[in-house]
Amino acid sequence: MDFIYTEEQRMLADSLRRLVDQEWAFARRRARQAATALDPQAWASLAELGVLGLNIGQDYGGFGEVPASLLPVHVELGRGLVSEPVIPSAVMSAALVDAAGGPARERWLPRIASGEAILSVAYQEPGRRYDARPQDCRAAPQGGGWRLDGAKHLVWHGGAATAWLVSARAEDGETLLLAVPSDTAGVRITDTPTLDRARCARLDFDGAALPADALLARGEAAGQALAQALQWGTAALCAHAAGAMERLLEITADYLRTRKQFGQPLASFQALQHKLAEMLVAKELAMSMAYVAVAALTEPDPVQRRRMLASAKLEAARAGRQVAQMAVQLHGGMGMTDELEVGDFFKRLTVADLLLGDSAEQLATLAEEEARA
Amino acid sequence: MNLTWTPQERRFREEVRAFAEAGVPPELRAKVLAHQRLERDDYVRWHNILADRGWGAPSWPKEYGGTGWNALQRLIFEVECFKAGAPRLLPFGLSMIGPVLMKYGSPAQRERFLPRIIRVEDWWCQGYSEPGSGSDLASLKTRAERDGDHYVVNGQKTWTTLAQYADWMFCLVRTDTEARPQRGISMLLLDMRSPGVTVRPIRTLDGGHDVNEVWLENVRVPVENLVGEENQGWTYAKYLLGHERTGIAGLGHCHRELGVLKRMAAQAQSGGRPLLSDPRMRDRISRIEVDIMALEMLLLRVAANNGGTPGPEASVLKIRGSEIQQDLAMLQMEVAGPDAWPYDPEWMFAEADDHGPGPEMAAAAGAGYADMRKTTIYGGTTEVQKGIIARLMLGL
Repeated sequence: MDFIYTEEQRMLADSLRRLVDQEWAFARRRARQAATALDPQAWASLAELGVLGLNIGQDYGGFGEVPASLLPVHVELGRGLVSEPVIPSAVMSAALVDAAGGPARERWLPRIASGEAILSVAYQEPGRRYDARPQDCRAAPQGGGWRLDGAKHLVWHGGAATAWLVSARAEDGETLLLAVPSDTAGVRITDTPTLDRARCARLDFDGAALPADALLARGEAAGQALAQALQWGTAALCAHAAGAMERLLEITADYLRTRKQFGQPLASFQALQHKLAEMLVAKELAMSMAYVAVAALTEPDPVQRRRMLASAKLEAARAGRQVAQMAVQLHGGMGMTDELEVGDFFKRLTVADLLLGDSAEQLATLAEEEARA
Repeated sequence: MNLTWTPQERRFREEVRAFAEAGVPPELRAKVLAHQRLERDDYVRWHNILADRGWGAPSWPKEYGGTGWNALQRLIFEVECFKAGAPRLLPFGLSMIGPVLMKYGSPAQRERFLPRIIRVEDWWCQGYSEPGSGSDLASLKTRAERDGDHYVVNGQKTWTTLAQYADWMFCLVRTDTEARPQRGISMLLLDMRSPGVTVRPIRTLDGGHDVNEVWLENVRVPVENLVGEENQGWTYAKYLLGHERTGIAGLGHCHRELGVLKRMAAQAQSGGRPLLSDPRMRDRISRIEVDIMALEMLLLRVAANNGGTPGPEASVLKIRGSEIQQDLAMLQMEVAGPDAWPYDPEWMFAEADDHGPGPEMAAAAGAGYADMRKTTIYGGTTEVQKGIIARLMLGL
């Protein structure tokens, strides 16, 4: 094992740190989040640094980096609470398209890498929590192509996406994955803000007509491609959360060094020092489990792979909750206001549990694998 | 020792329950149980309904228009009202400045201010914390200088809850800068409509507006609005904080939110079954029911022993009560699960056209979890409470 960043990874992380420190500094980040539309300049700057094409093959205009490169990149993005659709598009959708194979790679991967296309995986349905098997969203053959009916919700940046990768049920019960451009007729988009100042959308399909080549995969291949997307997304999210914890710990320690009560800096009170120490322990564990998560992406044994990712996600949620709660507590009343960025970190770390399968879901996965072993 | 409720106490509970169930207007109950935002009139309305029944000041002695109830009765009343979906009683008049005026106020102050608290004819707010003085309240810097028959007040208060509706503020000010910090503090009753008072909202994590900054610039306060004696304000302030902390255990809140949690878990589906039937969720709910039971018995013991006058035990109640309130909010968020993610503060008003895309309560659950972090901070942080326990209960 070797935990040292390669030269390329280090340089990429350094450049990203500089970009994020500047362009995602508190005020600029807030201003960007307040707009409902994506900031094209910010998005282009991520594409330029290679973030969007990181793991996409060089044949398709990407950088063909190993999966482990997700870690340095998403730790940096997490430090800056970058809310742009990097994970839904460049990580999850790229992984899904790559796993599905066929001509769709040529069609979508170069445009994901350049940032021209913004994709998001639409896999959740109302009332079905994290169940990734399509149920009420149905696709049926129509005029040589497909007809799509039903609803998807909680589509990460679904409003900003230029296309969605939608899971649907065929008449025979098979899972289908369809690429649906956002200008398709017969789709109603309900775009809403989220607790962590990102956005998500509900998509209602009412006889949306798609060409034959919208189909990316079906049956078992579709299930595997979807699983691939969720696993890559989980790994990136674990790294993002670990990066957010790292930065939040710095912010909180700085606050305790400067804020004075009872004639001395808060940092001089042992009770509060111990809280910071506990935050550090949690952050280090979360960071370690982020390594487990990216390692899982090259783990050949599918059972072990699922276990690693579920474990990492569980730990990211637990540690994230602890670090976030303590950070607010140590900021006192100021931590409760919307005026400092501590609250933004708190909410992102809270939401990290709710995305891509919450702790209950990960525990259920682990219990299932345990029972099977 | 008698560890059962007496027939009188049971009858009292039935009486309060029947009143609360019939007395809380349905639209108000719906707002409260859905965690929608309450506005000025919502609170005032409930206070007046109680006042009409003669229960407008449940913690006050009869001579001031109160019910004369003992501590157990007050607790029963709180729990039953919360369970019925009543808004919380505004603490600023009833639990804070009211008791202070009864003990330390002049007859004229008592006569003028106490009756107007019961129907919220005067809405009070608490001028304690300042930007540089939170846990270290005694370091407060707002100055009051004597000018003839007036004090002239300059400074800034913060975290002033619902000051946007307030008619009056009870305000800690420094009247002697030479003395030890605790010695030079006085308490003034300050008319919020005075020239020089500016209230600015502070948005909190849930996007809501409950707390404010209040700027005081050359605000003239008549000398007769000084509470007790000059430079003795710290004594009154501490007396008041003790009252604040018992209510802060939030037992009624815990009972109500447990009910909300169970309803949410019964409605949420997981794998084709109600989440409430999931053994993992059942375990969590059972655990928190135990927590609430323990808190309740602790509260009853403290109430019975002290005849309602809270001592340092209030800190024990505050620590535990605030943690349980937070745990309940966390469980509600976990029940909402993925649906707690979409959130817009605009969805939280009953009058809003749109309450969000998810199931009822889902959007409120994530924001509520964030908002409830305040409970271990306000009214003296958990760290401050632990310091009080160490000093006053353990003698360390």
